[in-house]
Amino acid sequence: MTFRLFGRSQDELSSAVSVDGEQVRTLFEQSKDNLSIVSSFSLQFLRRHVKGLDVGLLPFLRVFAWLQQILVCILKMGPVPRHVSFIMDGNRRYAKRSNKAVKEGHKAGGATLIDILYLCRTLNISSVSAYAFSIENFNRSPQEVDTLMELLGYYIDQFTERATNIKDNLYGIRLRVVGELSLLNEELLEKIRCAEKLTAEGKEFVLYLALPYTSRNDIAHSMKDTINKCINNNEDITEQALTNNMYFEEYSDKCDLLIRTSGHTRLSDYMLWQVHEGEVVEFVNCLWPDFGFWRLYLIILRWSFYHTLQKVNQLPVPSSIRNPVFPRILKALPIDTLRRSKRVALDSLPAPPLAVSVDR
Amino acid sequence: MSSEVGGVKARVPPATKTQLTASISGLTKTVRQVINSDAGDVVKRQRFSGKIEYAIYKALLVCIYVMYAISRYFQREYNRIAIKLLDLAYNPSNSPQLIRQDVNKLQKIPKRIAAILEYKSEGDIGGGLPGLINDASDVVCWTVSAGIKHLVLYEYDGKMKQSVGELRAGIHHKLAKYFGAENVPRFAIKIPHTNQVFFDVNEGPMDSANEKSKKHKVAVEISLLSKVDGRETILELTKTMADLCAKGQLKVEDVDTKLVNQELTQLVGHEPDLLLYFGPALDLQGFPPWHIRLTELYWETDNDQVSYYVFIRGLKQYADCKMNVGK
Repeated sequence: MTFRLFGRSQDELSSAVSVDGEQVRTLFEQSKDNLSIVSSFSLQFLRRHVKGLDVGLLPFLRVFAWLQQILVCILKMGPVPRHVSFIMDGNRRYAKRSNKAVKEGHKAGGATLIDILYLCRTLNISSVSAYAFSIENFNRSPQEVDTLMELLGYYIDQFTERATNIKDNLYGIRLRVVGELSLLNEELLEKIRCAEKLTAEGKEFVLYLALPYTSRNDIAHSMKDTINKCINNNEDITEQALTNNMYFEEYSDKCDLLIRTSGHTRLSDYMLWQVHEGEVVEFVNCLWPDFGFWRLYLIILRWSFYHTLQKVNQLPVPSSIRNPVFPRILKALPIDTLRRSKRVALDSLPAPPLAVSVDR
Repeated sequence: MSSEVGGVKARVPPATKTQLTASISGLTKTVRQVINSDAGDVVKRQRFSGKIEYAIYKALLVCIYVMYAISRYFQREYNRIAIKLLDLAYNPSNSPQLIRQDVNKLQKIPKRIAAILEYKSEGDIGGGLPGLINDASDVVCWTVSAGIKHLVLYEYDGKMKQSVGELRAGIHHKLAKYFGAENVPRFAIKIPHTNQVFFDVNEGPMDSANEKSKKHKVAVEISLLSKVDGRETILELTKTMADLCAKGQLKVEDVDTKLVNQELTQLVGHEPDLLLYFGPALDLQGFPPWHIRLTELYWETDNDQVSYYVFIRGLKQYADCKMNVGK
């Protein structure tokens, strides 16, 4: 859900941003047009750490950020997924809807990802992967591909800068760009290599950017690597070996939660190997730039709730701690009789009329 | 939480599929579990204030769970009522004409559809092998009536593969119910894993090679898949390819998406266009990963029956969806 900055126009905010020089501008470049969709949680963080940003004056923002922070701390206490993945679909439709250039849509999408990254990290999730660019996307118009590549390069730079800045909320995140890298141009490759090297220290949290990636390509590539290793090093070919040779390193076996925005219910050649054995896949009916704190929070809450429930259902509950109050109330309510109308005990039927035979 | 049963990893369904049936007692159980779950792995705090903070957060988490459970319960009841109404609204009552009428309103239909079926335990209503075969033959009848030529039936353990005889009889019986005993449409059942093809009950099994001409006349071609067609087949293929590479009959560089796709299409079949699942939350159960690339997935939240409205609504969604591969 989005958070609008009450009473203040975005122009005012961006002017407040621009007066404070280079650092603030670079930090906000990707989000200044989209401040209203970034969660107030991360805005609050930036307010604390970046001088000159005038959002702290808004009491609503403070309350909201405070509330969001508390909610996150609460959710952290339960089980959380280890690997969350996103299919960021809907940037172009977002741009079309708000009558902007396609580029603006992709920009807004980038801002959303960065915002969500912070949230995931605060929740103790250890890895996030995002489908940034599909191999099939090369079929788009050359201008759009160029724009996208340029933007991706820009975001990788931004991200590296923030991930290496100790003051920033993305500090210490390791970036890995995975996929058929040979299809990228040299300039972008150089940026990627540099970014991976600079962020290699991060241990606790990994961001996998699938670029240009398709799952089938990943499987085929893993098969090839496994065969190579088998022939050259005489290693066994097992399912584990296949999994280990995939791009997502130790997160290749499964993706605990896959979220696809924009309402399409298909996987579009992403995470096929990771998701086909009964992992949770959520399809959200909103465009990616609109995907914010509340939607993600609800999805993770749902995940966490059901995982707790699943654990409960597998454990036998000792009868000593069985609470007698609730079932008694339940029995008093008519819900059960309505629901279980088909389960009839023969004894519960009213007694039939007297049976009389013809020959007395 | 994967439990090992005899060295084989037992399947764990996605957590979202967990039933909320015993609504209120389940809720109290949840509450208790959340309270009792050990704090160890989250944070080990020594400070007293830290402990208090921890307790407060934990209590709040329980509150949130309870609120969520309550809202979910009402949502579920609402969905159930909607499902009942839909079930009444779309009742084909064994008539192919009505199904064809429904389908003809759609702009396009998929060429191949797949359905994930579940083997329920013997004690349940519609459980056991008869229940599974009943579900399978229902889906076959709808597919034939809709005019779709290829159907994939997926069952995790491959129970249907083991009892093809019963399945053939079941399908024949159901088709006779729909189309009349004199003109039962011909069908073929394929098991890609063992490379076998079976025809209708009164015809014997035969190899896929001979009598190709007969195959063209069938109204529907049913492939039976199970978990062995998933990762295991990919693994087998890798081994075979490694052998060929070692012998020098294949170059390692030639192993690419195109070749693998070609081989897997041979071994398992084509990718279905639409995948139907008749459970309460999407659970792919190890469906061949290579074959769900662009497949449209359809399931109905909180539904737990193999019913016609899921089928027709799935087809509707397929008809309305826009396909743009990468564009």
